[in-house]
Parts: sequence; structure tokens; C-alpha cells
Amino acid sequence: MDEEPERAKRWEGGYERTWEVLKEDESGSLKATVEEILYQSKRKRVIESHGQVRLGMMRHLFVVIDCSRSMEDQDLKPNRLTSTLKLMEAFIDGYFDQNPISQVGIITTKNKRAEKLTDLAGNPKKHIAMLKKAVDTVCVGEPSLYNSLKLAIQTLKHMPGHTSREILIILSSLTTCDPANIYEMTKTLKSLNVRVSIIGLSAEVRVCTVLTRETGGSYHVILDESHFKELLMLHVKPPPTSSSSECSLIRMGFPQHTIGSLADQDAKPAFSMSHLDSSSGPSLGGYFCPQCHSNYTELPVECKVCGLTLVSAPHLARSFHHLFPLDAFIESPVEEHQRNGFCQACQGELKDKSIFTCPSCRSVFCVECDLFIHDSLHCCPSCIHSQTAS
Amino acid sequence: MKLNIEGLLVYFPYDYIYPEQYSYMLELKRTLDAKGHGVLEMPSGTGKTISLLSLIVAYQRVSSAFPLDVTKLIYCSRTVPEIEKVVEELRKLMEFYAKETGERNNFLALALSSRKNLCIHPEVSSLRFGKEVDGKCHSLTASYIRAQRHVNPNQPVCRFYEEFDAVGRQVPLPAGIYNLDDLKDFGRRKGWCPYYLARYAILHANIVVYSYHYLLDPKIADLVSKELAKKSVVVFDEAHNIDNVCIDSMSVNITRRTLDRCQNNVDTLQNTIQKIKETDAAKLREEYRRLVEGLKEANVARETDIYLSNPVLPDEILKEAVPGTIRTAEHFVGFLRRFLEYLKSRLRVHHVVQESAPQFLKDIFDKVCIDRKPLRFCAERLQSLLRTLEIADIADFSAVTLISNFATLVSTYSQGFTIIIEPFEDRTPTIANPVLHFSCMDPSIAIKPVFQRFQSVIITSGTLSPLDIYPRILDFRPVTMASFTMTLNTFNVCLCLVALSSKFETREDFAVIRNYGNLLLEMSAVVPDGIVAFFTSYVYMENIVASWYEQGILENIQRNKLIFIETQDAAETSMALEKYQEACENGRGAILLSVARGKVSEGIDFVHHFGRAVIMFGVPYVYTQSRILKARLEYLRDQFQIRENDFLTFDAMRHAAQCVGRAIRGKTDYGLMIFADKRYARADKRGKLPRWIQEHINDGSLNLTVDETVQLSKHFLRQMAQPFRQEDQLGLSLLTLEQLESEEMLQKITQIAHQT
Repeated sequence: MDEEPERAKRWEGGYERTWEVLKEDESGSLKATVEEILYQSKRKRVIESHGQVRLGMMRHLFVVIDCSRSMEDQDLKPNRLTSTLKLMEAFIDGYFDQNPISQVGIITTKNKRAEKLTDLAGNPKKHIAMLKKAVDTVCVGEPSLYNSLKLAIQTLKHMPGHTSREILIILSSLTTCDPANIYEMTKTLKSLNVRVSIIGLSAEVRVCTVLTRETGGSYHVILDESHFKELLMLHVKPPPTSSSSECSLIRMGFPQHTIGSLADQDAKPAFSMSHLDSSSGPSLGGYFCPQCHSNYTELPVECKVCGLTLVSAPHLARSFHHLFPLDAFIESPVEEHQRNGFCQACQGELKDKSIFTCPSCRSVFCVECDLFIHDSLHCCPSCIHSQTAS
Repeated sequence: MKLNIEGLLVYFPYDYIYPEQYSYMLELKRTLDAKGHGVLEMPSGTGKTISLLSLIVAYQRVSSAFPLDVTKLIYCSRTVPEIEKVVEELRKLMEFYAKETGERNNFLALALSSRKNLCIHPEVSSLRFGKEVDGKCHSLTASYIRAQRHVNPNQPVCRFYEEFDAVGRQVPLPAGIYNLDDLKDFGRRKGWCPYYLARYAILHANIVVYSYHYLLDPKIADLVSKELAKKSVVVFDEAHNIDNVCIDSMSVNITRRTLDRCQNNVDTLQNTIQKIKETDAAKLREEYRRLVEGLKEANVARETDIYLSNPVLPDEILKEAVPGTIRTAEHFVGFLRRFLEYLKSRLRVHHVVQESAPQFLKDIFDKVCIDRKPLRFCAERLQSLLRTLEIADIADFSAVTLISNFATLVSTYSQGFTIIIEPFEDRTPTIANPVLHFSCMDPSIAIKPVFQRFQSVIITSGTLSPLDIYPRILDFRPVTMASFTMTLNTFNVCLCLVALSSKFETREDFAVIRNYGNLLLEMSAVVPDGIVAFFTSYVYMENIVASWYEQGILENIQRNKLIFIETQDAAETSMALEKYQEACENGRGAILLSVARGKVSEGIDFVHHFGRAVIMFGVPYVYTQSRILKARLEYLRDQFQIRENDFLTFDAMRHAAQCVGRAIRGKTDYGLMIFADKRYARADKRGKLPRWIQEHINDGSLNLTVDETVQLSKHFLRQMAQPFRQEDQLGLSLLTLEQLESEEMLQKITQIAHQT
């Protein structure tokens, strides 16, 4: 059995009456209830199938990180800021893994001001590098919701209407210091179709509740570090778009990677457009925009010259599963299962008290494989197997 | 939904019901069946009002078939907003009735308030103070003013009143639900005076909603509620302070200023009498004749049981004629003068005097030869004189009315009252400011006529614990006494008892003050939005805040939240409250420092984010050095066998419970309640808290340090911030009709009511 994620230290939590949860079974053993508890914690994941809902596949997300005084609180280890930044790295990775044609930007707020850490961009490396650097920031003063939102919509409002505009705020402080009425800002956000979600690190704050309710976002408060991670990962999945957002055909370029060599006569050395500011010299190969032939070393990117979105086919394919999510497997007690007790995927024995059946191919899986299939694979292995076989 | 409560069909205008509401209705029904009085405690925010209204309306509908049961509901509340809230609930209920039964029922319900809230006369209603409005109104509507108009058409009168008087009484108010604004609208449309219309309409209305004072204050009750039907149900909502209301309505305070104004009044009377004598001596003779015949009319009326009896007008004097010494107007004025001089001489003291009513009477007889008998007729005689003299502005004569009431009371009741003359206030011993307190110590005197007259009287509130003390101090025999708890599926309340002390001896201690400051500072960093902190008195609060300022604690708190302070000035306080709410709304967060027994602790609710935590610094005992209180305690001990300490603790705990109860106003609401005093942990204090608070006290939340409190509240607030859905509540603390009717649930419900 793999290790449980480390929760908060016992002495940090409240007074729990763990003995009240435990019940002896007929033979007087506690084993059954302990297993039950472990099983429940494993199963504790959100099963919500979107069904036929339009999802915003091209996302523009600003993450606002509170860097105010309260981030120095040590209830997350080693402190709230470090822990948050570390989780953010994982989030950025996960985000680009699941939404390859989306962009992210990071804003920090402290001392009543908001600053842009990184601009909206589709390159995870840059963000992660900046996040790593940000660990050393000094946390002072109060955050300002108003200023951070204002900074975010300055960029977001220029984004095309078919893409989603989102802001995710990680708020540790219980107060906000605003130069103007925040409810006016809420109206602006609403009219611009910006969705604001908030993860609170300490407690429920009224203004956040209103802000998220008005803009259609979600508001959660963390219990401990593992819950924090869970909540962050909820935002990896693209949210359903409102019906008011326009749909349009998007021109996309699929540049091929060419590897130029000096021997080739046609090869023209070119500067990578996305690294113009950096000191790297011209290169021969790379991705060339099919429209204007500017050179890029990385995909996905929006062409700086002609504004064409450049992606590769696998990127689009990776976003595909959001549109057709895998149906939830049917849970049933293990006793009802007539046939041999082995999981279709891992071939292990079905020891837990429930099994999961794929609704289309009727194969059975154990809990862990069920989780893996839904979280990472996004398709049922035995369905795929039967498709290719036929 | 439609409920069946022991055979009674009750329409309930919501789809879901809390189990305790069902239980509450059950108890209420039993009380009404027994035609007795009841004391019911149910936490606020659990829909007390609607349960009460649905049951009693259902009861009325059934009993309209049998004309001997309940015909009228008199619902007494404290403030105008509360009255309006009740009427709105009632409207909802009636709409539900109309929808379900499909017929327009001829139900009349209305709210009644003072002239200030109901006047539509353009000039009069623009006045700011209630007294001014009353006085002005009276000068436009008094009967002889209107009589003068026949002679002199230029005499201004109120056209709304004229219109009402001409036609309003013949046409009854159409059936419906009338809020104060509805009454005003109706009055404007018809051109009738809404105030007099309402006062007239309450006689045949099915439901009347008004303030306590209309029933308990003898002066007002005599005017307004005298003729209300005997078969009424009277409900006192938020009644935890009812004994104090009763006492206040019967107590009289006389200062030098009162006497000076009284002197003026008497002079005016004298002049007027002189004038009338020259012009219209027949009038005075007519009055004399009436007085000889005695107060026969009143006596007849009381015997036939038409009127609510008035404690200021005792039974015995009705049977007698007004004594000869004060029968003529001049003699009576002379009599008043003598009485006034006597009071003046009594106020010229240099030490505190306390005496009983008989002592006072003996002294007054010795000094100025005033007998007991004429004193008893004083109030009645003055009323008669004022009527005869056709004095327009009654408000001007409030001083002399007060004195005459005092005279009647002091000579009527030999027990239950005490007279205390203080030459100066305790706080300012150098400034002479003599006050004569004629203080009522027995709340049952004022409320007795209500209990005697009406079939059922229900006393209900969120905090009535311990229940048995109310019947004792109000001197009545309830048929039901029950306390209900809130059924919750999660703990919405986190209760912490912090081991600090504000005992009188140690409360000036530097360390104690600093500890309190630390507690507030730490909490301000952990609790979102609003925190309300209660102190035991204004003086104590001022001291503490001053020393927090010196220690720099305030500055630190202000980094987390803004600070607002309640003061004794009403305008300032309401300003502070408004800003406090704004700060909570905007996410800045705020702390409100206020005082138990102040305005904030009584009438104002801090729902949801307006009060995420309530901190009670110290135990809110009354100022025990006050002589009035001491006299009252003594009286309670002698008459009702209630020990001083018991009463003091009871009083302190009900105020503490009121204060902390401000934060939880419903089932979706959550909040921290922190009692920052070691003494709360003692059994005698804990036992006197309402049951719904006691349930949340477990050993883990007793005697905590500041750090533990912070840790506990952090955890609690995070737990509470997790999404909460109605479905989770359903079936446990929220019931549909089917669930309610299940056998198992009915069983559970019977356990909710905690009979004492």
C-alpha cells in the first residue's frame, strides 16, 4: 500500500476524536474500519461528468499570488509562501500538460500593490523559473484585490472572445486594501466575462464569496496542504464556458520542425522570434510559421509577426479528451462480481470491497486503476484494446 | 406544507420545516388548549415567528366555528423593524393560505406604532421627536379644539382626522395585512388618519402587532389596549427583558428639573382656572358634580369586564367619590402646590435616604398634613381637571402628570416599591444633582392585569434560561415551560472559554488588560470580516481601550482590521455601525467594540460575515453598588425567595447569552463564541446559559489559553468554509412532510422539547 500524503502534523490540527470513528466488527477487530477510512480517502475525488457542456479549450489564466504579511504564517510548511510556490510549479506543469494551447500569467500582490511576475505566455519553463526566483520575496503589508484584478484585466480584456478569460487568486490574507469600491470592479469583470476563482488559505471572506459568485467562479478554502493541492488541481481542467462567449473558427498554423544544416543551400539562419531579447544567436533550424516564415524554437506559440497560433497536432489531440470525458465507472460491491477476481488493468486480485465496471465494455477494475484511468489515461484500456482488435 | 398537529390542520408556508419548529408548535398548541400561559425558549434563527403565527392563525380559523375560543392574537415585539418583520412573515403565511384554499379569507391583521411612525399630516410628520409629534397632533385633534372650529373656522385642525372621524368609523378596514407603510398608503388614499384608524381597527382585527409598551405601560395601555377582547392570545416575543420593561413602566424618577417644570405647570393651571372662572364658571361646577358622583362609570365598566384593568387606577378608589379636599379646582391646585413644596424640601438632602412607601406617607402627613386618601385620587383628579380646562398641549403637562402618578402609586402600593433619594450621582459626588427614585421592585404589578385578563399569554425568546425564574419574578403559573435546541448537522458554533479574569479586584491589573489585548489581536488575524467584542461597561471599555492604545496593541490590531466603538450617543453609534458593516462588506474587516446591555447587544443582528466571532470580555454583571438594585435584590429575596447571587448571575448570563447570540442568526450561519473569563467555566454560570449554547460546551473548549483558542478557531473556520449544501441538511435538521411524518422522527421530536 503506498504512502498516504503527509497531512498536517497531529498537534496542528484540532482536537480530533479519532476513537469515535472506530468501531469494532463482530470479531472485535478494528481492521475493517481502518481499511474503510483509508479507502474512503482514496475514493475522495470529484466525480462530475460535464456531459454536453462547452468547454473553453483556449484558456487565458492569470494566477494572482498573495505575498502579504500573512503568507509568512507557518501553518503550511515551511511557510505559506514557499508551500504555495511549490504547489504552483506543479500546477503550471499540470496546466500545460492538460491545456497545451492555453496561456498563463502570474501576478503577485503585496504592500497594497500588484505586480506582474510573468506576462501571459504559453511557456511553462519561464513561469517555473520565475516562481523559483520568487521564493525569496519578502512578504509585507496587505494584498490588494482591486489592484491585482485591475492589472489582470488590462491584459485579459484584449484577448479574443472565443478564448476563456480566467483569474485564479490564491489569497492568504483576510483583508484587502482597495483604492476603490471592489463591487464596481466585480461589475466590470462580469461585463468582460472574466471568471474569478479564489482559493483561500485561512478562512471564508465575504468579499471573495461575492466576487466568485458574481463572476461564476469557484471559491474554496483549504484544510491542509494536501487539500490545497487538490483544490489547485481542480483548476487544471478547463471550466465550462458561458453560452455568451462567441464561437469562431480559428486559424491555426501547424509548422513543421526543420533541421537545417550548414551544408544545405536553402538554409537561412534566423533569430528565434520568441527569444529576441535573449542573447542566443541565430539558428538554422526550428519551426517556421507557415504564413510569414518567422522562426520559433518552441511550440505552442502565437506568432509575433502575423498573430497566427502555432501548434503541433499532438497538442490539439491532448486537449481532445476534455471534450469527450470518459464516463464514470460503475461502482459495485465485490460480492456481486461473479467471475474471477482480477483487475482487468493491473491483473491484481480485487481485494477491496468495491469494484468498478466500465459501462461500455463491462471490464472490471480496482480502485487504484480506476483513479489512474480517469486522472491520467482518459480512456478505458480494454475499450481501446477491443477497438484495435476489431 | 400542511401539517397535522394533534388534530389541528396547520398551513405552513415553506416546503421544509425544522424539527424544533414542529416541536414548538406542539407545545404551543397544548398551551392554547389548556387556556393557560406558557414560557418557551427557542434559539433565534430557527423560525420562531413563523411557527407561532402559523399555529395561532390555524387555531383561530378552527375556533371561528366555536365562538368561545381564541379570537385575537396580540403580538408584542420590541422595535419597529421587528414589528415590520413579523407582519411580513404574516403576509407570506396569508398568501399561502389564499393559494392553498383558493378563497379570500376575511382576515385583518395590522401593525400599530406611535404617531411618529404613522402620521401623514405634512407639517406634523416632519417633526423629529416623538413627543413633539404627539403634542402637535393633540393640539390639532383634541375635542374642544374641534368644537371651537364651529365658532371660529380659522382654527387649524387636522383634515385627516376630521375625515376619519366623519366616515372612518362606520366603514371597517377591509380585510388584509397592513404594515405601517400600508396603513399610511391606505390613509393617504382615503384621506384618513392612519394612526387613529389603526387604533380603532385593532378592536376588531384578528392579529395586532405592536410594541410591549402598549400593553405594559399603564399610561399607554389605558388609551390603546383597554378594550381588547378577553379571548386573545398575547405573545411577548424577545421577552428576556420583560421584567425590566415592567419595572421601568412603573418607576418614577423625579429631579429638580421635573419639579421646576411642574411648578410652571401648576402656575399655568392656576391661571387657566382663574380665567375660566370669569368666563365659564358653569363648567367647573359641572365637573364638581361629576366628581361627587364618583368614578361610577369606570367602576361599572370594570365590573362588566370590558376593560383591561389599570394598575395606576386601583379597584378600591373606583367605588368612592373623590374626597372633598381636592374636589374643587382651586383646592386641588393648592393641594398640588403643597405636595410640590414637600417634594422640593425632600430633595434638599445631603445624604442618601431610603424609605418605604408607608414611611413616606407618614412623613408627608406629619410635615404638610396631606392624607393618604386624596393622594390616591391625584392622578384621576388631574386627568379630569385637564379635560375640563381644555388644555391643548398635553405634552407640556408631562411633569405634573408624572408627579400625580407618583402620588397615586405611592399611596396605593405599600409593598413592591421603594423610595430612594440621592443627593448626587455616584460618579460625581461633588456636583449636587438630587434625584428621587420611586422604583418599582416587583415586575408582576405591571404585568398582572395582562395575565389576569387574557386567556393565554406566551413568553418567548432565544434566551430565557433558567426557565423557572420568569414565572417566579412575574408571579404567574405557566402550563408549559419548554426549551428547544437547534438541531444541526454540523457544529455551527465553536465555543471557547478562555481562562482570563476580569474579576472586579483584578480587572485594573496591567497583565489582565494586556492578555485581553493579545486575545483580540490574535483573533483579529485569524477571523475573517467582522468581530464583535463586548465589554461589561462603558467605563471599563474606555479604560481598556486607553491602555491598549498606550501599549501599542490598538495599532497592531489596526493592521488587521478597522476598529469601531459604540458610545452612549445614539447617532454616533449608528454611524459606527454603518461604517462597520461597510468595512465587513468590502473585505477590509472590522472590529466593533461595544457594551453588554448597550444598544448593539440588544437589537442588532450580526448575520453571517457581520459577526464571525463574538468575544465577551468579563461577566456582564449589573452595577451592584446601585441602591435601586440593592433594594430590588432585597425585595426578591424576601418575597420570592430568590437569592441575590442567583438573580445577579441569572441576569448576567442572560445578557451574556444575548450578546453572543447576536452572531448566530440561522442554520447556515456560523461563528465563534468566546467567553473570555475564567468564571464562565463554573457550574453555576454554565448552568444558566441557554440549552442551545450549553450543548456546544465540551471539556475540550474549556479553560483555553490564547494560543489554543487561535488554533481551535483556525481549524473551525476552515472547516466551516467548506461548501455546504441544503441536501446535507435535509432529513436531519430540515424535514419534508414525509420525513416529518415518519415514526422515528416524531420520536426524536419529542426529545427536543426540554420540559422543566
